[in-house]
Amino acid sequence: MYSERIHAAWFGIHFFLLTAICLAGVFWLIAQGSTILPSACNDYAREGELVLTWCLGKQAGASNPLRRGIATYLHAAGIQAGYTFFAPNVPNHHRLRLELFHEDGRVEYESPRVRSEAAALRLDSLLDRLAEERYEPVREVLVKMLAFSVWREHPDVKKIRATFGSVNPPDINEFEQGKIETFQPIFSFDFSLRDEQKQ
Amino acid sequence: MVKSPGSQISAGLDPLRNCWQRFVGFLFPLESDAWLAVFRIGLGLQVIVYTLFLRSDWHYLFASRGKGLVGREVGEAITFFDSPLIPKLGWLVALGHNLNMSEETVLTLAWVCLLSAGWLLLLGLFCRPAAIVAWFVHLCAAESGGLLAYGADSFMTTALFYLMLSPLPDHYSFDHWVAKTKPKNPLLSGFWRRVLQIHLCFIYFIGGLAKFLGNGWWDGSNLWRSLIRAPFTVVPPDVLVRFKYALPVLGISICLLEVSYPIFIWMKKTRLIWLSCILAMHAAIGLLMGLYLFALVMIVMNVAAFGIPSRSTTAQAFSGSPN
Repeated sequence: MYSERIHAAWFGIHFFLLTAICLAGVFWLIAQGSTILPSACNDYAREGELVLTWCLGKQAGASNPLRRGIATYLHAAGIQAGYTFFAPNVPNHHRLRLELFHEDGRVEYESPRVRSEAAALRLDSLLDRLAEERYEPVREVLVKMLAFSVWREHPDVKKIRATFGSVNPPDINEFEQGKIETFQPIFSFDFSLRDEQKQ
Repeated sequence: MVKSPGSQISAGLDPLRNCWQRFVGFLFPLESDAWLAVFRIGLGLQVIVYTLFLRSDWHYLFASRGKGLVGREVGEAITFFDSPLIPKLGWLVALGHNLNMSEETVLTLAWVCLLSAGWLLLLGLFCRPAAIVAWFVHLCAAESGGLLAYGADSFMTTALFYLMLSPLPDHYSFDHWVAKTKPKNPLLSGFWRRVLQIHLCFIYFIGGLAKFLGNGWWDGSNLWRSLIRAPFTVVPPDVLVRFKYALPVLGISICLLEVSYPIFIWMKKTRLIWLSCILAMHAAIGLLMGLYLFALVMIVMNVAAFGIPSRSTTAQAFSGSPN
């Protein structure tokens, strides 16, 4: 009986946290205005999301032990993110195009590469994250590192221009008419061996 | 005859007691551990496939700055901001430094540990330690490479977390045959299966609900976009175009299947249909989008949760006491 109560209590806490995470994810989508719901719902969704993030301790200070405890548990159980994959709509994917300027004046085009398909999926996951607003503070550092990973294989390159952008695929009717995907640059950085400068 | 206040309160609490008993009965059904064997073997296979798929890129993905793709420090810093207590590969590397081991050696050891844990789970040897090691090392990798992680990593962490806490070893493991370990409490086996079942209901209901909120799932355009989206382009768009009229039906069917999963998967009459459709959907995601790891972990979780018939009568034959 004692064991049952402990298990039941854990069950209650675990699924309460999971419910909060999942609903917060759905409310976030609605609050962004990216759903088919009327825009009047956006404010309610934002409030709902705030309440749920409060339940998860995210409103507390970064060093708050409860916040840290909840975050650690969520990560340990793999439930730190909701289950809103490919929802409400499938987002565009992103590409990082690197222009390599060689010492002798040649210009080559490259992209960061990995060996296996499994790792390629992860690289694409990283590129999609770069477009997210919350990763803006680490964007330049990450692009620089991706550029550096290519630079290591081309040591004679004196400058790299990294252009990050969104790839817009044609819809099915446009595809039938022969339209192909388009690349929409979002930002770019120039990196040289000595310094880097944002464009 | 006038009832005493004590007996009136007691009578008033009866419905609550009944509710609690029914809840406990639902949460702790008598259950054989056949599902757990499927879960253990499936996750063992999953861990092996995960490590082998990342074999050639393991060091490149998880090495520190200047040696790998982006360096694991950024991912670890983001994780650290959430909580410094979340395990990461940096801990293992720091521990290795104290033992005069290079970062490369530590990363290789972590990979070997994960692969070995996968094989041990598959065979059923040292089940519990293997499950703990698999969960811990995978979690370290998933958190250190947090920016490189995707859905399959979260599901793997969750599945390994539940496996680690489940009453291992099961009857079909080597541990049971070799060491003649005592049978575990069948109520606990039932409890952990319930947890897995309810978790799956959350996953599909929220996934289906969120998809229903996007117009692209109603007209099939999201299905088109997801299938032609790099790097998931396994089927050429020219072939997909031939099925353009089927895409809206398929898109709505996926949403309906997911959102109604928590209802129809519990009914005996519809369970097999819903389970088959969900398994077919994941197999299709694996084959048509190249998301093999994601497909495999979802198939394993579904089969373990709902694919093995409940065998409460077998559980009663266990020599262990229910409490």
